[in-house]
Amino acid sequence: MRCVITGGNVKVLGKAVHSLSRIGDELYLEPTENGLSLRAVNSSRSAFASFLFVPLFFQLYERGSPPRAGQHFRCKVLMKSFLSIFRSLPSLEKTVGKCLILLKPQASRLVVQLHCKYGVTKTHNLAFQECERLQAVFSTRQCANSLCAPARVLAEAVVHFPATLSEVTLSAGPGGKISLRNYVEDEKEPGRTMVTELWLAEDEFQEVAVAPGTCITFCLKEFRGLLTFAEASNLPLTIHYDAPGRPAVFTLDDPLLEVHLVLATLSDPESISQSPTANGASELPTPADDFADDLESYMIAMETSAYEGGSGAPPSPTFPLRTPGPAHSEPEEEEEEEAVPGTPPHKKFRSLFFGSVLTPGGPCLAPTQEVLAEDSDGEY
Amino acid sequence: MPLSTQPPASGERYVLTASLDNARHLSSLLRAVHFQDHATCFATANGIKVTVEDAKCLQANAFIQAEIFQEFAVQEESVMFRINLAVLLDCLTIFGSSSLPGTSTALRMCYRGYGYPLMLFLEEGGVVTVCKINTQEPEELLDFDFCSTNVVNKIILQSEGLREAFAELDMTSEVLQITMSPNKPYFRLSTFGNAGSAHLDYPRDSDLMEAFHCNQTQTNRYKISLLKPSTKALALSCKVSIRTDTRGFLSLQYMIRNEDGQICFVEYYCCPDEDVTEADL
Amino acid sequence: MRFRAKIVDLACLNHFSRVVNTVARLAKTCTLRLTADKLYFILSDKVANGGVSVWCELCQGNFFDEFQMEGVAAEHNEIYLELVPENLSRALKTAQNAKTVKIKLTNKHCPCLTVAVELPSLSSSSRIVTHDIPVGVIPRRLWNDFREPGVPDFDVSIYLPVLKTMKSVVERMKNLSNCIVIEANLSGEMNLKIETDLVSVTTHFKDLGNPPWASDDECQSSAQGRDLESMAEARIDIKKLLQLLAGQQVNPTKALCNSWTAQLCCMNVKCFAVQIIYRTCLEPLSRMKGASQVVVYVTIRTGV
Repeated sequence: MRCVITGGNVKVLGKAVHSLSRIGDELYLEPTENGLSLRAVNSSRSAFASFLFVPLFFQLYERGSPPRAGQHFRCKVLMKSFLSIFRSLPSLEKTVGKCLILLKPQASRLVVQLHCKYGVTKTHNLAFQECERLQAVFSTRQCANSLCAPARVLAEAVVHFPATLSEVTLSAGPGGKISLRNYVEDEKEPGRTMVTELWLAEDEFQEVAVAPGTCITFCLKEFRGLLTFAEASNLPLTIHYDAPGRPAVFTLDDPLLEVHLVLATLSDPESISQSPTANGASELPTPADDFADDLESYMIAMETSAYEGGSGAPPSPTFPLRTPGPAHSEPEEEEEEEAVPGTPPHKKFRSLFFGSVLTPGGPCLAPTQEVLAEDSDGEY
Repeated sequence: MPLSTQPPASGERYVLTASLDNARHLSSLLRAVHFQDHATCFATANGIKVTVEDAKCLQANAFIQAEIFQEFAVQEESVMFRINLAVLLDCLTIFGSSSLPGTSTALRMCYRGYGYPLMLFLEEGGVVTVCKINTQEPEELLDFDFCSTNVVNKIILQSEGLREAFAELDMTSEVLQITMSPNKPYFRLSTFGNAGSAHLDYPRDSDLMEAFHCNQTQTNRYKISLLKPSTKALALSCKVSIRTDTRGFLSLQYMIRNEDGQICFVEYYCCPDEDVTEADL
Repeated sequence: MRFRAKIVDLACLNHFSRVVNTVARLAKTCTLRLTADKLYFILSDKVANGGVSVWCELCQGNFFDEFQMEGVAAEHNEIYLELVPENLSRALKTAQNAKTVKIKLTNKHCPCLTVAVELPSLSSSSRIVTHDIPVGVIPRRLWNDFREPGVPDFDVSIYLPVLKTMKSVVERMKNLSNCIVIEANLSGEMNLKIETDLVSVTTHFKDLGNPPWASDDECQSSAQGRDLESMAEARIDIKKLLQLLAGQQVNPTKALCNSWTAQLCCMNVKCFAVQIIYRTCLEPLSRMKGASQVVVYVTIRTGV
């Protein structure tokens, strides 16, 4: 594979790599006939992102001929190494005129060359590892709900949450209102965490096709990564989701670029209804009750003497632990999965069952494994 | 008053007295060689040289010529003492390291001689700070014996062209390899890290290149950890001269222009890491 | 027990968040005391040596457009809450261009101070953000722990120099030493000193001025008849002093006059505390009755 990127598109590629670096430690590169695909998955396999740069994105795009038996070459590189090439976005914009990416499997060479101001060239010869295709199985068509908003609206919404917050709950209220609330994890000390909730009106969105009352909880960090990219590119972002526990798909559409972010969602709907702000009588979260001006709303009965023991802790929500094995007993994959050190608190998220999909349409998923969403794209 | 806030008159018995109307001219140069806390100061009638060393392989010198000071007097042929550079820098920047336009810290510096502390009197906006920094026995310095007659290759570059390169050096690489050659690739910086290798090539006709005098192809490796501190000098400088001698020793000379347009120099000497055989290239 | 308040004016909101930020930098948890006229942020660090205490008093009328409260009982018309000021600071941080901010006491999963923010949006309706800040309600029997600090008996009271200069000096000194000596006299002179094996540094400030205190106040006795030149000194933890200086958001654009005063309190020659008083006046806003003054008393006790 050989491709040349020029001008502002070098920075777009750089931003995409920054966004992918929020997901995983390895970057998967796959030249396809539809363009160059860059992908990443997180260590607990609950987040997957793919950026497909279509041939038009490049000044030159040569996929190269399949080396053996129709098999195209795919590889992965250390995210850190790839990111370091594009580390400084301002200097990328200021100094780099042209970027050349060269993948020559026979010569074991992955070269990224930057042609900079004053005739200076930076040549990076990267170590890579041949690998199977990385693919999350998901389908936006199977998602019952979808939302589309300018990236800026969503970016302005998430600033209200602290940078350290791991998960956020998105729910659809009555009248097309959408709320975002920080997800409070099985609180050991109830009443220690501040709960922040934001309501966006329907008309802030470009499209709202959601069933009132639905809600999903997903990781904020990866979502923020995509938002940064989308905001800089000034693209609208679409959120497709289904029932809690099924993956949510975040997409960006651009003529030169297809972006998918797939995030596992918390599977226990119980946890949602137990969440602190929704303990009212109503099933649906009601927006803005805190903003009502009626006098009653602020009248609460609290005895100073009574409040000392603290209320009984609510039963901690439990989540089914599901750790599906890799789809194939492909030794390298398995080893890798075990090598991942202590996957952070995402255990309660279902893994996104990636597997290494060997042959398109083949028996790629073990029959025992629950398929949460079918792959709908013909290409895969 | 127990402690006079007035700087001593010139008549008193000080072997070194210097005054400077903007202490930043001194502190920024000292910061360019601050990678170890101990520095040796060597003053003659020409000015002060501040030397910092590391691992017997690296030496940095900051030269502050007598002309930079408004007043500069050395009573003996030379005066030498060792001082904690971190402490000296904190004292010099006591009123803040980034001065607002129109404000500057005036400095008067006095040293009575062996065994005495270095005295600093700093004044900004009517506020006076008096510092007494204890000095130590000077230690013997390395002699790199880098003489211009043995220089094989020499390049002068605009610092701008190297700043980004040094900021982005792959620190997982143990060495920085420098190739200088009359032929292609002319001037090449290479690293060999976990991620793979990276090469940075500067053509000889680049606008960044102020001078190019390469007589033979030379490839030498230097410990990247030793060269990293020179980034501080690079950041301040406008031009850098890169020279290697027959033994592969590296000399980096940074030309630094202060706010008043005066020119000072900081230089770094570094030993090569190992002999590079043809097979390595 | 009821409490509800509303801020509409952006300048008031901005000023209120600055006060809350200051408190948040000084204290992890603090007490919020609400009375019909005033709000207080109180921190009483019980550590015997080198503790910091904060007393910050605000007139509600200078910040809030609406302020309704009902205490535990008619004869004790006050509310005492324990809260993490960082939470309140965070809630206000993203409210800087709000149309309205409402703060009220609610009982959700636990007692909460709910901050409801109405933000402008690109659409016809506003964005609403609510923050439920968990609070602890402090029972009446503990109220006595939060008494207003009496005006301490001090030997020297002096206006502090330009904060930026002082902060820079103390920052550098912190790199060199753990404790700092503050000396001041009644002639407007103040010295900051550190001394270690390696280095001694003294910064001399002069012409700072000493606040004119009412002479009939009997607690000023120590300062009365004192030799104008003689220095009172206090040795305090340099980190605590820096925390106070760094915590203050030195942004004089809105404030008409800011003054910082240090009071050195001595007892039997040996100094036991430095009290730093921060007074700031907002530009009088049209709806304000008088100058809006915020007083923050911070007391750093000396380590013995």
